[in-house]
Amino acid sequence: MKTNMLIRLKKYIPIVFLAALFMGCERDLTDLQPVTFPDNPEVFIDGFTAGLNYAAFGGSVPTAFDVDKKETYNNSEASMRFDVPNAGDPRGAYAGGVFFTGTGRNLTGYNALTFWAKASQSAVIDVVGFGNDLGASEYQVTISGMQVSTNWQKYIIPLPNSSVLTAERGMFYYSTGPVDGKGYSFWVDELKFENLGTIAHPQFIILNGQDQVETSFVGVEKMITGLTSVFNLPTGVNQTLNIAPAYFEFTSSNPSIATVDAAGKVLVTGGPGQSVITAKVGDAEVNGSLTIQSQGVFQLAPVPTRPVENVISVFSNAYPNVPVNYYNGYWEPYQTTLSADFEVDGDQVLNYTNFNFVGIEFSSPAIDASAMTHLHADIFIPAALTGNAQMRFELVDLVATVSGTFTTTITPGQSQQWVSLDIPLSNFAGLSAKNNLGQLIFVDVSENIAGFYADNIYFFNDGTQPSSPATAAPVPTHPAANVTSVFSDTYPSVPGTDLNPDWGQATVVTTVQIQGNNTLKLAGLNYQGIQFGASQDVSSMGFLHLDFWTANSTALSIFLISPGPVETPYTLTVPTSGWSSIDIPLSSFAPVSLTDVIQLKFDGNGDIYLDNVYFRKN
Amino acid sequence: MLMVIIFWGCERDNFQKLDERNWQITWSDEFNGQAGQLPDASKWTFDLGTGQDGWGNSELQSYTNSTANISLDDEGNLVITAINQGNRFTSARIKTQGLFAQKYGRFEARIKTPYGPGLWPAFWMLGENIETVPWPGCGEIDIMELRGQEPHIIHGTIHGPGYSGGNPITGSYALVNDRFDADFHIYAIEWDKDKIDFFVDDYLYQRIERGDVPGEWVYDQPFFILLNVAVGGNYVGFPTAQTPFPQKMYIDYVRVFREAE
Repeated sequence: MKTNMLIRLKKYIPIVFLAALFMGCERDLTDLQPVTFPDNPEVFIDGFTAGLNYAAFGGSVPTAFDVDKKETYNNSEASMRFDVPNAGDPRGAYAGGVFFTGTGRNLTGYNALTFWAKASQSAVIDVVGFGNDLGASEYQVTISGMQVSTNWQKYIIPLPNSSVLTAERGMFYYSTGPVDGKGYSFWVDELKFENLGTIAHPQFIILNGQDQVETSFVGVEKMITGLTSVFNLPTGVNQTLNIAPAYFEFTSSNPSIATVDAAGKVLVTGGPGQSVITAKVGDAEVNGSLTIQSQGVFQLAPVPTRPVENVISVFSNAYPNVPVNYYNGYWEPYQTTLSADFEVDGDQVLNYTNFNFVGIEFSSPAIDASAMTHLHADIFIPAALTGNAQMRFELVDLVATVSGTFTTTITPGQSQQWVSLDIPLSNFAGLSAKNNLGQLIFVDVSENIAGFYADNIYFFNDGTQPSSPATAAPVPTHPAANVTSVFSDTYPSVPGTDLNPDWGQATVVTTVQIQGNNTLKLAGLNYQGIQFGASQDVSSMGFLHLDFWTANSTALSIFLISPGPVETPYTLTVPTSGWSSIDIPLSSFAPVSLTDVIQLKFDGNGDIYLDNVYFRKN
Repeated sequence: MLMVIIFWGCERDNFQKLDERNWQITWSDEFNGQAGQLPDASKWTFDLGTGQDGWGNSELQSYTNSTANISLDDEGNLVITAINQGNRFTSARIKTQGLFAQKYGRFEARIKTPYGPGLWPAFWMLGENIETVPWPGCGEIDIMELRGQEPHIIHGTIHGPGYSGGNPITGSYALVNDRFDADFHIYAIEWDKDKIDFFVDDYLYQRIERGDVPGEWVYDQPFFILLNVAVGGNYVGFPTAQTPFPQKMYIDYVRVFREAE
């Protein structure tokens, strides 16, 4: 809602003379002090009052608002009509905009914005409020979900603390969309500020009224959120308002430990020590507080040094992270673990509290860790352990629904410091495949780990398992005259051969250079075809030759195909130790017609490097 | 000067010409005491439980003598608290039955009411002969009742034979741009052999005379005092999900006077 369309409605003549009559009951004019800003209470009575403008929100229907002379409250001259569009309206997706004045108004004498409203059907207006001035909207007040019916009813938006509203420009704003895809109209009339004795029992709330206690460190920032106010309406029911931070005066009990600014941003500045962040609105107490228990300077986890190309990272500021669905699944009903993640000097840290178990999910897409050798995680248990702790790590393959577990011991001497774990994936008992990993779960086996910080969670390849061939495949030595080649730098290939026909496969096919030698790479293989430029008669040949290399494949077979299709697989032994060269007797592919072969196909998993694919005579 | 006149024109008429009286106090409870204390057992007894059919009105609350529901607050008030425990409501009701009753005089209390749909606070009296002459024959004088969904209106009512339940003699007093739960107000009746006058903050808003009742005038015998906060019932309707709980009625004092001879 950053862009706004300004519509100045000059045709509506400001009506101000009513104000003078009302003021007769309010105060003795001789008491009035000179004021900088007018205190006109009227926003829209039978037309725009002095200085009032309207601007539609960007993306809303710009003409949603109009002045209506037919449907008015109490048969008055005019009302404000808002036409909410149908879903799919090309003019805009919703109705929304701001009524504001060019010059501020002094509203300190009022405690509510009131109006009458009705709608063409029973509906819930998404948002109505006060204090949106198209700029900083410092004193914005919002009611979410205002129920309107087909009868005129009076509505009240209490002003949380009007003593600060000495020059307010935001008079009224609204934003709402269709109901079940269908548009409707609603009307607002007699929009004005009042000083009501019939609203009572104001409550002011930060952090949703909770007294939160957080362990923290120098450099950690946190916003005070959950800022609301509750007023009891003349009907005895409570109205909750979302209100801007500027209504609150935030205080830190110990600024040498933590400071808080006017916007409610808390910064931990020292420690060890404690500071309680509280707030007031005017003289009124505020429910909710934040107790910062600063541990002092945070000991950052060791900065990872593995080369980025050998890493698949789930959570680290040192590497790009894969898409993660969540870092805490809040799995009901047995999980107790909560999250209170924090950031220190730009390093984000996962903080699990009230720990029993917790899962991180990264299933969209899943991680293919088949080229990886280890899982790395930095773990910090902030409470002093009195006995050994057993933490179990579980890696879950969501496709094969298998998981592997590894349990590590953390001694009391290792608590209150970072423990860097490099866990070989081969140590995860039961993990039969690692190409579809979707979850990592931490479990407090010993039930004595109250909570822990985690950082730098990533899979890596420690170099013992290269993910690509270091050397080119061996150069073939068969005479070219005895060869019909599909893919090789040594021989001319069958013209027109398509190395990557679209058969709906997931495999990513590229040609890569290894020591200057073109090599065919099948990454993330599920299956992959090769379409010859023309049917080949290989009945005079004896073998299909193939050089292949893979570090991570656990299944691989090759098919020869003749029309029908008639196809026969041949199983290749994987993973390989360096380049594997194989000459497959063509008789192995019976009953494929060797006089009319048209395609090859690979089936399996992992990343496969191929070279020197050709038929040869004996 | 013109402005001053208009200013007064916005207020209610402040001046009433009332008969001079010489009231002498006969009984009172100022509710001074430590926080968490129950009210003085020499002055008050409890009605407990749910009564018959919710005290005859389909009321929802169960009355207790728990200090969670009724206790002094160390600030000179008795506090009756209606609590919602998962749509099971508890509250308190106390009375001077068997301990104090009086015929005629001024009965007053200074009270800040609870609020919210379904809340029904009351400062009221019943005829002392209720054990032998069942309601409504014993008579009932409601000095103050309020419906929590209308926190700016209080009601003063009498119930007697032929004019009870949904058909009593009643009058209301509404605050303009204010409400009774926002601050303390003084609720009183002045009662003699001819009439009962109902006051809010010493403003007479209703006079019921002997000849005004369609049945028997049963107000020539001692009445005892009751204070309670009901939840739900025929008079007020039921609380809604939006009714704020807990709700508290603060009673600064109850004082009873007799006119000096």
